[in-house]
Amino acid sequence: MRLGFAVKVLGQGGLRENDSRRWQNNPHLSVSLAYLRDIFHYLHRAGIGMYRMSSDLAPYLTHPEYTQFHHQLDEAAEDLAAVGRLARELDLRLSFHPSQYIVLNSPDEGLAARSAQDVIAQAEMLERMGLGAEAVVVLHVGGVYEGHEAARARFAAAFERLPAIARQRLVVENDDVRFSVADTLWIHQRTSVRLIFDNLHHHNHNPQALPLREALAACLATWPAAMQPKVHFSSPRTEMVTAEQRDPATGKRQQVLQPPRWTNHSDYLHPFEFIAFLREAAALRSFDVMLEAKAKDLALLRLRQDVARYAPDLAERLA
Amino acid sequence: MSEYDDLSPVLVVLLNNARDLARARDEGWYRIPVHRAPPRLAAEYLAFYQTRAFGDQAYSVRYLAAVRRIHVLPRVQLLPDEPNHPRAREEYYKIEIGPLEALPRPVPSRALRRITFIPTTLGQLLTAEEINDLWWRDDPQQRLWLALRSTGLPVEYRFETPQPEGDVVVDFALFLPQGRLAVLCDTSDGRNDLRETRLPDYDLAATGWEVLRFTNAELHADLAGCVAMVLAAAHRLGALPGQGGHE
Repeated sequence: MRLGFAVKVLGQGGLRENDSRRWQNNPHLSVSLAYLRDIFHYLHRAGIGMYRMSSDLAPYLTHPEYTQFHHQLDEAAEDLAAVGRLARELDLRLSFHPSQYIVLNSPDEGLAARSAQDVIAQAEMLERMGLGAEAVVVLHVGGVYEGHEAARARFAAAFERLPAIARQRLVVENDDVRFSVADTLWIHQRTSVRLIFDNLHHHNHNPQALPLREALAACLATWPAAMQPKVHFSSPRTEMVTAEQRDPATGKRQQVLQPPRWTNHSDYLHPFEFIAFLREAAALRSFDVMLEAKAKDLALLRLRQDVARYAPDLAERLA
Repeated sequence: MSEYDDLSPVLVVLLNNARDLARARDEGWYRIPVHRAPPRLAAEYLAFYQTRAFGDQAYSVRYLAAVRRIHVLPRVQLLPDEPNHPRAREEYYKIEIGPLEALPRPVPSRALRRITFIPTTLGQLLTAEEINDLWWRDDPQQRLWLALRSTGLPVEYRFETPQPEGDVVVDFALFLPQGRLAVLCDTSDGRNDLRETRLPDYDLAATGWEVLRFTNAELHADLAGCVAMVLAAAHRLGALPGQGGHE
């Protein structure tokens, strides 16, 4: 079982995840790929086998006004192949998770088309890197427009319209407020799209009261037998949060303490929740775990130590 | 350089001869063999450390240039006039750069030393007084560097010393009248899998080094105590009165 983390590296200072210069300074995918190469070497040294790449690897690639950036995939074709070779040599499992602005099921045709363009571009990058089918683009269903069921059906239709290169890479994740595992399973039944199970989202949004093991098993079963599925795991942030409110009497803004929202990620992973999750899944097929925690790779490294200490029988399974 | 981001990554690279400087200036590119590339290659700027070949401008960083593209190419495509070079098929990073800009203040090496690559930031480059100020350091090392520098001791950062099993990088090297002092930092407390491979301390000792080793926890908890140990060792090795501020 691989453990992975998303995008930003905290365990070694100075590593950037993409060329983040503004358009005036001509950022480029080829420079992002050099940053990625530096991160891959760090992952190898740290013994981390899975990583979510920045969705901004190719800056302004699909921006409608900056056409000078539209040919970066061709301009960096050799570099994509080279960094993909390195990932294979180092046995890294890679993925993308486009931002919340990518909404395939939007009734706004322009937004839906731009979203499809982004998904296609990210799938094409994985393809040009020569990565296997387990390297995926993870997407949420999107927004609820014109009714929940219509929005769900619109996603399924948008998925079917995508070119094969994107359909083969796209996987769908349950979210924490709108589309539950039952919804993603509905989409899977119509499209065969693979599903990502997210534990915290499932706890936050499970109106059908699907038991965790049942929901997890159903998502895992959407992956072909020869392919290692992947799930997302996170712990909720439990601290009080500081918020700004306007005092109704004086009109002045003031800071107030509020209880936490259980959808927010914690800095580190709760080891006992994670161990319980692994025990719950013990009889199911094997899978990899993308950890979503604010302390990123530091949280991953700490979780490994925690599992070794509190559940040594499980520690050997973690790569 | 009127507006810049202090934290922009910069890679300091070597310029060995006037021809490479001309290539960087006139053709806008620099090359690094893939197999010799440093762990941190990517950067928004390249800065150039000029070696002995540059006469009165030697052993200093004087120019930088914005990075435009980084491509991987075989050497023969980079230098088509040298098709029979023994490394003609070897892969190189071709780093395409913008115009060379002169630094407001050159950054010299006090010890006229050889370097390979130095990952740094634009803020550090523009404020550095000498090349030891350039290295990006984990926080405990940065604190130790600032503390040691303020003692006036002759400290060199990340000094490479040849050993039978390959070069060893000494985090802080002090060359003193009666010997050499190596200060090593274990900055990966609790994460042994990240620990850099180092020859055992006794191998360094066997080649004439006195060795001090500090962990992250020691540097965090008692920096003054660590510096005091360095000072004591330096004075034992003949640091001159006034060096180290204890005399």
